[in-house]
Parts: sequence; structure tokens; C-alpha cells
Amino acid sequence: MSTSQPITLIDRPPSAKTLLMNGIFGENPVFRLALSLCPAVAVTTTVLNGLMLGVAVLLVQVLSSVTVALTRRGIHPRVRIPVYTIIIAVWVSAIDMVLAGFFPALYAQVGLYVKLIVAFAIIISRLEVFASRMPLIPTFWDGLGMGLGFLFALLVIGTFREILGSGSILGHMITPEKPLLFFALPAGGFFSIGLLMAFFNAVERWRNGGKASAAGGGGSHGHA
Amino acid sequence: MSETVKTPAGATLAPMPASELWRIILSMTVTCALSAVVLGGIYIATERYAEEARVRGERRAVTELLNLSEDAKVLEIRQYLTPARDAVVYRLPGEGTAGGRELVFALDGTLTREGMLSAAAPTPRDLHSLGRIFVAMKDGAPAGFVAEGETRGYKNRIRFFVALTGDWTIAGVRVVEHEEDPGLGAEVATGWFQGQYVGRPIGAVPRLDVTRDPMPEDWRAALRARARTDASAWTTKYGPLEARESEKPIYAVTGATISSRALTDGVRATILHFRRRWELLGPHVTGPAGSAGLEGTP
Repeated sequence: MSTSQPITLIDRPPSAKTLLMNGIFGENPVFRLALSLCPAVAVTTTVLNGLMLGVAVLLVQVLSSVTVALTRRGIHPRVRIPVYTIIIAVWVSAIDMVLAGFFPALYAQVGLYVKLIVAFAIIISRLEVFASRMPLIPTFWDGLGMGLGFLFALLVIGTFREILGSGSILGHMITPEKPLLFFALPAGGFFSIGLLMAFFNAVERWRNGGKASAAGGGGSHGHA
Repeated sequence: MSETVKTPAGATLAPMPASELWRIILSMTVTCALSAVVLGGIYIATERYAEEARVRGERRAVTELLNLSEDAKVLEIRQYLTPARDAVVYRLPGEGTAGGRELVFALDGTLTREGMLSAAAPTPRDLHSLGRIFVAMKDGAPAGFVAEGETRGYKNRIRFFVALTGDWTIAGVRVVEHEEDPGLGAEVATGWFQGQYVGRPIGAVPRLDVTRDPMPEDWRAALRARARTDASAWTTKYGPLEARESEKPIYAVTGATISSRALTDGVRATILHFRRRWELLGPHVTGPAGSAGLEGTP
């Protein structure tokens, strides 16, 4: 995982462990690729919110990646992006309807998060850079790794912000006062992500033996 | 259409001949058709269960809001506006196997029709729905009301129930459907936010407003405690606090003033509309005693 080169530039499909670790650390969607920052800021006021959205993204990412890997030879390259968008939309709608019909209690909790996902940059970017050119098995592990990486990032940001902003963890108060309400507000979300991103970049640099790394903080792709 | 295009794998495509265009059209058409079939199939398979879950959830919301027993008698009245927008139609369910009743009021409040719902009556599809009213009956008199309302939230419509006790104070507000952002606007659907409306008399409703001032921490703690505490114990402990806050505006959710204001505006409008309509409708539904509770209200 400590390759300085993005995994997608390697010819041979990497192993499952490499792909999982790549999604969680090396190319973490939020901290390293700086994708889907908008929902990461909006939703992570508490740990529970982050967990729900993370699980929803994990499901949609794996299902969409696998669908693209299976059908990639039938997708015309000139219209691949619209086709990916339709695939994501189909999975989001399918999950939404199945939850509403068969798991109403769960739907009341996660329904909102599922509907948010259709426009997530991280999902379509994994379809484009990985699923569209790799076989099924590595694509599955990449989707799982990226989903877990997103979930992990949301949990870290949510924990950071809930402790500092609300003085609680999973809704249980741990401090009598709210230490820094600022961190519960949207602006505080950006600061939290910035601080954590710097931390993860430092960790990555240390792992690479002090070499500066190209990934991370590429804020120019701050899509929804 | 003759520029070269890079595929994901980096190969370069030759300028596109006409047959290429047809393959693209075919590819997109097949994708869309397959998606439509998949989504349509899932919809047909799940719609019945989703509808049942929705109805169950709404029935539970009504009984919880009015603190009713499971088998309490609740009259469900549907309200519609005619397509010409010149009259309000109320439809009441029939007793047992009898057909439903229908009452039609012109906008100036005169009753223009009262009778059984005939088979030739326009279907709900042709009418504009104004939401439903649930009336809890006890000993032949209304013990409480729930009015369904709708408001434009930050992202999409917010559908909610407002409950009023028999003596016309707000018994509760419950958002039943919304798409606000989690962590921001979605907070208006939480118990602590909706608890701010409880106990306000109808006389205070026209002045119901929203403030962006921060909610006092003791009041926030009291609202959060309400769900976990027995009702009478809560009143004993937090009664003075509730009295202090009852004349204050609703405290907006931090970072979600628009959603907070939308729900508050919706609650105010729904209650005021309901009061006006019930003055006309009440005597026809419950007999002259039905509107007794209104006499003393401003």
C-alpha cells in the first residue's frame, strides 16, 4: 500500500489486502483524494450521522463497481459517464425502495442518507478509474476498500466534531459544557477536515520515509 | 462529431462513422430500458409493503400524539379543494358497511351539499388534496384532533401532523416525511425540536415565530429529557421552565433556520386553517356539542 504511485496505473490487478488498505489509507476518498467533501462536511456533526452515511456509500459503491465490472465490455466508451450515472441511480433507487418496503424502521434512520448518495463524486470516480478497466474480483475489493475508507473518514471526522462541538460521543454527554460549538457548524467541518487531512498526510509521508506525496489536498476536485 | 476521443484505457478512437452513432444510441437505449425494467419491477414488488408501512407509521403517530389507547375511535376526514378552487370538499368514512358521507362548503362558508358519497362523485385524483384531519372521539365529543399539513422545506416538501387537545392547545407536532439534510435541517424532525411546540394555546399560535437566538441549555436539556421521562414527572420537574419558555418564539436549529422557519410557518398555517374549517365542519360531524370547545377561544 505504501506505493507512491496510484494503484490504477499498475498493469496487474493488486491483491485484496492491498486494495482494501489503499482505499482506507493510501487513497482514502476524503483525506487523500479530497472527493465528496461536501457531504463529509454536512453530515459529520455527530458520529452516528457519519456511520449511517458511510454504510450507505459502502453499499452503493460496491454494487455499482461490481455492475460496471460485469458490463464494461457492453458499455460504449463515448457514453460511459451517463451509463455510470444511470447505474448508480438505479442502485440508489433500488436500495431506497427495498428499505422503505421491508425495513421501515431502518428506513426511517437511513432513508435520507441513501437519497444523498446519487451525486457523490467518489462513487463515479471509482467506476471511471478502476471498475471500467479491471476484472470483477479486484473491482469488488476496490469498491469495498473505498467504501470502508469513506466510512472510516466520516467516523473520524464525526468523532472529532462531536467531541469538540457538542461535548458528547454517540449522543452521550461526556463534558458538562459544549467545548467549541464552532466545530459543530459547517465552517468548523472544513477546519476539522483540513486538520485531519494534514494529519493523514503527515502519517503517509512518515510511512514513505519522509518523501513528499503527490496525493491528498487536491482541493480542486471538491465535487458534491 | 469527428474529433478523436480517448477511452479510459488510453486508446484513441477514429473519427466516428454513422454506424458508430447508431451503436451509441442503441447502447444508451438498452441501458435505459434495462434500468426502467429493473426499477419498475422493484417498485411493483415493494410498493404495497411501503404503503402498509406508511399507513402503520401514521396511525402510530396519531395515537402517540394524542396519547390514545390502541383501540381508540379515530375518525379520519379527507379534505379536498375542487378543481375550480371554489369549494372545499370533506369526505367522512361510513359506519360499518355504509358508504361515506360528503360535505361541500363554498369558500364563503356556506354549506352547498351534504349527503352520501355517490358513486358518480369525482375521485380524489380529480381533486386537490388539502390533507387529512383525524378526530379522536370520546363519549360522543372530540377529545383531540390531528391535522395533516405540508410546507416547503429547504430541499423538498415537509409533511407533518399537528395534534391539538380537546381544549385547543398544541399536543404535539410530528414530521412524518421530509428530505432535509442530516445533521442540519433534519433536526426539525427530532423530538427535542418538536417538543418546543407542545403546550402552546391556540391563542398564541398566530404569533408563533422563530428566533435565531441560541436555545438556553437548561431548556434544551429539558426537551431532550422529555422522551425518556414519564409525563407527570417531567411536568413536576420542568413545569416552571416550560412556563418560562411558553411565550418565547421557537428556537431555530443552528445552521438550519430555513427548515425551522418552514416547519413553524407550516404548523401555524395548518392550525389556523384547521380552526376555521372546524368551526364550519364540527357541528356536522359531532353534533352541536362538537364545537363547544371553540366557544372560549379568541
